[in-house]
Amino acid sequence: MLRAELVRRLAAFTLEASIEVEPGAPLVLVGENGAGKTTVLRILAGLLPPDRGRIEVNGRVWCDTERGPVLPAARREVGYVAQDYALFPHLSVAENVAFGLRASGERGRGLRSKVGRALERFGLLELAHRRPPELSGGQAQRVALARALVTEPALLLLDEPLAALDLQTRREVRGAVRRLLAELPCLTIYVTHSPMEAMLFGERIAVLEAGRIVQCGARDELLRHPRSPYVAEFLGVNLYSGRIRDRRGGLVELVTEAGSLWVVDPGGDDDVFVAVSPREVTLFREPPAASARNVFRGRIVELAPEPPRGERVRVLLATRPPLVAEVTADAVEALGLREGVEVHAAFKASGVAVYR
Amino acid sequence: MLGAVLATILVLPVAALVLRVPPARLAARLAEPEILDALRLSLVTSVSAAALAVVLGLPVAYLLATRSFPGKRLVEAAIDLPMVLPPTVAGLALLLAFGRTGLAGRALEGLGITLPFTTVAVVLAQVFMAAPFFIGAARAGFAAVDRRLLDAAATLRASEIRIFFHVMLPLARPALLAGLAMALARALGEFGATITFAGNLPGVTQTMPLAVYLALQTDLEAAVTLAVLLLVISFGLLLTLRAAPAGRLRTRDADAPR
Repeated sequence: MLRAELVRRLAAFTLEASIEVEPGAPLVLVGENGAGKTTVLRILAGLLPPDRGRIEVNGRVWCDTERGPVLPAARREVGYVAQDYALFPHLSVAENVAFGLRASGERGRGLRSKVGRALERFGLLELAHRRPPELSGGQAQRVALARALVTEPALLLLDEPLAALDLQTRREVRGAVRRLLAELPCLTIYVTHSPMEAMLFGERIAVLEAGRIVQCGARDELLRHPRSPYVAEFLGVNLYSGRIRDRRGGLVELVTEAGSLWVVDPGGDDDVFVAVSPREVTLFREPPAASARNVFRGRIVELAPEPPRGERVRVLLATRPPLVAEVTADAVEALGLREGVEVHAAFKASGVAVYR
Repeated sequence: MLGAVLATILVLPVAALVLRVPPARLAARLAEPEILDALRLSLVTSVSAAALAVVLGLPVAYLLATRSFPGKRLVEAAIDLPMVLPPTVAGLALLLAFGRTGLAGRALEGLGITLPFTTVAVVLAQVFMAAPFFIGAARAGFAAVDRRLLDAAATLRASEIRIFFHVMLPLARPALLAGLAMALARALGEFGATITFAGNLPGVTQTMPLAVYLALQTDLEAAVTLAVLLLVISFGLLLTLRAAPAGRLRTRDADAPR
């Protein structure tokens, strides 16, 4: 089990993350570029010292800035696959894989058989004597994985292992990586900037935003109850957070950063998240007659046809709070929706997810 | 047009040198003891100087490329100084440091060691003039090694020493060879510092450049012979070392299953 508390000041923000990984349950760390994902991995690997923090792996303390001992990277049982794989260009594939074993003092037959098994496992036997510049992206990725795993690390860190591949290769490799993650005995952290990859690979997902973990939990929880604009945008839902101001007839009035809305009373007084599916939002040219509690007036900012065939259209509205609605192409025609047109948008208080 | 002018300036003197004495005469004079002495001395001292520059310069270049410390710029400037210093000034400085009455010279004298006007002094002068060329090239070579490879090696349990020998050194090899060539050429051609600090004693401190200069006063043909010899050696040196980095980087291959 990995337990880590990390604090490190960066140029734009302070990274402050607490991370736990259980054996057999890889953690996917997802976030936008520049959120601090690679920094987390570098600190865990020992390539960057934290300002404050503690890292414990399977009961062994790798780093504890309070008490003193900070193991250098070379003394941590870590496997690190960098985004560009960082293969040694002057060594053959086999020597790249053998590098970590040699550094740990492995020689002779033991070394050969371990390297041989790793090459075989990753389908690299035929490439054993090639050099990295002669490899394709997918092959280089397999060498990097073999090189990191052959030393049997306690903690495996994968930094965007698919990012350097072209689309075609990525599709081919995805399944293999997924199977690998499922069968790995070591603690694993998989970093990606793609929420889609995160959903694909992670049973457990942590969302990193500007150096902080804004949500961490099971995939289903994340899908149903996003707590960050980043994930909400990926899922295509309207996400608001706010505090409860008023209660009336089983509903509460929620005050958000921009405007307020009425939702089903979740009980309690703590701040809540509200997710509104764009399909729940109805558009009108004239003010609608009652029924819906949440009616907002605003101009259309953008109309974006939804893939694949554009039968549905996403409508960005400059309401307070801002809303995205999804309507049919027929409705766009019938209502005469264009950029700049003022409309009324409504959704039912019961048509939204409210959670903390 | 400009190219032609430049080519004339660069090529014509070399041609003049080579065409001056017929090859047969050249071969005959090569066997003369004074010329052989100068040749032997030049080769021994410049190879020793280049070797010393490598041994002493490698750690310095490595530290300059990988560490930052207060006063680093000052150290760098001090190391580069011999490259811009007139060689005679360098010779004078060496004399004031290691001469009989010099700063360190007096202490050496007490130990029974006299440096000036010995072959060791020749090597010292050559190291002084040539080492900065090697250090500069090696440092640039080390700095150009991709940091991500060093990080990868560290996460693969490699100590700093191991990283140096197995990643830094092989990847910086072309730069190191280029630096070695520069240092060797500089040592071979060194004149001013040598004659000032080590003097001009045949067989002891009279290297080929010194011998050329001296012969010029009395025996033009001997001077030309020596000069052509120097030319051939320098040119051969450049050719060999230029060819080397372009060649395939051969390192120990895997003892992996075949």
